[in-house]
Amino acid sequence: MNAMPSEIGQIVWRHRNVIDVDCFTREELYFLLDQARHMENVMDRPIKKVPVLRGKMAVNLFFENSTRTRVSFELAEKMLSADVVNWSVSGSSHAKGETMRDTAWTLEAMGADIVVMRHGAVGSAQYLASKLKRAIVLNAGDGTHAHPTQALLDLYTAWKHLGNLEGKKIALVGDVLHSRVARSDVIAFRTIGCEVVLSGPPTMMPKEIDSLGCRYEKDPRKAVEGADMVYLLRIQRERQQDGLFPSVDEYHRWWGADDNLMKYAKPGALAMHPGPINRGVEIASEVADGHQSVILEQVRSGVAIRMALLYLCGGGAR
Amino acid sequence: MGKTLFKDFKIFSGTEFLEHSEVLVEDGRISKIGNGLDSTGADVIEGSGKILSPGFVDLHAHFRDPGGEWNEDIASGARAGAAGGFTTLVAMPNTKPAISEPSLVEYVLSHGKAAGASRILPSGCVSKNREGKEMAELLKMSEAGAVFFTDDGAPIATSSLFRLALMYTGKDQPRIMEHPEEISLFRGGQVHEGKVSALSGLKGIPAASEEIDVARGIALARETGGRVHFTHLSSAGSLGLVRQAKKEGLDITCDTTFHHLTLNENAVINSGYNSRYKVNPPLRSIEDQAALWEGLQDGTIDAVVTDHAPWHMDEKDEPFQEAPFGIASLECAAAVMIDFKNKNYPDIPLELILKKMTSSPASLLTEKWQSLGRIEEGAAADITVIDMDRTRIVDCSEWYSKARCCPWEGIALSGWPVMTFVEGNKIWQDNEDI
Repeated sequence: MNAMPSEIGQIVWRHRNVIDVDCFTREELYFLLDQARHMENVMDRPIKKVPVLRGKMAVNLFFENSTRTRVSFELAEKMLSADVVNWSVSGSSHAKGETMRDTAWTLEAMGADIVVMRHGAVGSAQYLASKLKRAIVLNAGDGTHAHPTQALLDLYTAWKHLGNLEGKKIALVGDVLHSRVARSDVIAFRTIGCEVVLSGPPTMMPKEIDSLGCRYEKDPRKAVEGADMVYLLRIQRERQQDGLFPSVDEYHRWWGADDNLMKYAKPGALAMHPGPINRGVEIASEVADGHQSVILEQVRSGVAIRMALLYLCGGGAR
Repeated sequence: MGKTLFKDFKIFSGTEFLEHSEVLVEDGRISKIGNGLDSTGADVIEGSGKILSPGFVDLHAHFRDPGGEWNEDIASGARAGAAGGFTTLVAMPNTKPAISEPSLVEYVLSHGKAAGASRILPSGCVSKNREGKEMAELLKMSEAGAVFFTDDGAPIATSSLFRLALMYTGKDQPRIMEHPEEISLFRGGQVHEGKVSALSGLKGIPAASEEIDVARGIALARETGGRVHFTHLSSAGSLGLVRQAKKEGLDITCDTTFHHLTLNENAVINSGYNSRYKVNPPLRSIEDQAALWEGLQDGTIDAVVTDHAPWHMDEKDEPFQEAPFGIASLECAAAVMIDFKNKNYPDIPLELILKKMTSSPASLLTEKWQSLGRIEEGAAADITVIDMDRTRIVDCSEWYSKARCCPWEGIALSGWPVMTFVEGNKIWQDNEDI
């Protein structure tokens, strides 16, 4: 726990901000996973607190509601002894009449060391990082673009179950087009050496999927075939109103994960979901509550991986 | 008005380089082109081999005046144009209020004249208040001095209005300039639909949104015999349609922008989604960009325009998804183009590029202005001097323009305009060139 990064795996941690997972090498990802394992041990101690961020101020700046991500970050920050402020702004920065850069500078003037931000606009985390002089930025989701800590916690969960992830296969099924989780997961799992296959309605797939470096199968059974991990993406019901698929029922029948779909995967394959789950839409209860589901473990992993990132970017590593 | 002799220049006529090296300007007009001209009583400007070109003609610039003057006004835009080597700028009418009646056409003309910089030529809306419903007073606006009719910022709202406007204007009135876009495919769009939308999750604007409207305009031109000019074309498919229409003999013309020729979607990706690359139509694929260069060479593209869309930094400096569309480029567009061509298309003659910035766009203006963009005896002395050896770093803080939304900020470019004259009057000079 007190070991400096250079003593573990001979890595010098060069990241201050985490905007997306594309900044990490495979070696850095494994290093991070290893750090998260140490952090998870802290979660099991009778006194769940270590002093690595003592005296540092973390601000959770949330422009969109996301209780679970915010709480996960908050727990991670508190277990590392940071002082935590939650700053929630409903709607966009514009709605408040203040630009994001003014909000950012205000936070810095108050002494923020770490800013965790969730915002509805693509590019907002990168933008915030470019405006801050001292504080670091951890992206907790910028629009449909990236959700790096989700991808890292997914990786961590998979790694704990499967060990070396090289050559393993993951199928991501659902609304890839609007999913920051899918985008970051594709990068993270590919960087670590997995084969990534996408499935879902063609109307919810980006054009030029090739540029993401993975294959698309319209038929989820083909996507899932032989997979070590089946990852269901959340379906926003308003997408149906946008006309991207005709009905929730039809979606579930074609792309929803039930025991039958899971049969095409490897025996014992992991069923994963970023939450919150829509039972009977992208996932049937028999899968969500079944023995293959690691959905709640993912939640626990989230705290550990966020502790590891906070430690490396904003705490003991400097 | 006096006499000026331009001596020892490489003279570009608007279509080709001439053998002569001297131009005599008297009373605002070019009186003689030759060698060893009589310099008695004339101010002499020594060129030392620099290029003397017709002043650049930009068919598409936005000035936010009236209604958005903190972003740009006509005077600041006219001065920015001068500093970029542009002697004629066509002002787009999507202001607040929109330029859709003769008095507003006169407003643009008179404010342009008062600026004493680049010549500002107004365009008028096709529809009243740019609402896309009823046809505006096109003939009155034409009399007042409008040189194009366009609802730019949006396509002409309905095909029936488009058709009526083409029938009504015919061949004797300003051309209809169409901003080609199928709105239902655009809604909420942010970037090119392709690699950049796949990677970012930003909503894509498919190339088809442009191509469908180009196809519509061509069909209507064919039926009415009217003239359509498509502006800021960005996709390979659109060029294919225009190429075909030209072959067919229809009176179809088009332009593309300096930024679509010199940037593509990779710039958006590599910048980490910096809003200075946010523009509509979006920066498209590298293949589309190559197709634009092909269209420039085979004559499909008639003009290169800035689509100068100025925003004050307070408006533009936002996360990508929240920032407005628009690139401001008047003060560096020519250098961007020359520099890019020399580095990426060294075999394309400079004449071709300059032609698409001078005589070729001028020929699409109304009759009164069609002789602009040429260095010939009797023509207005609109002159831009280009120094191909000048290297400068783009520094928006020095701009006359109020806008700062420029993708080339901080980049060193070679080949700059250094002096600009309108009707023989020097309206701008690069300070370091004195």
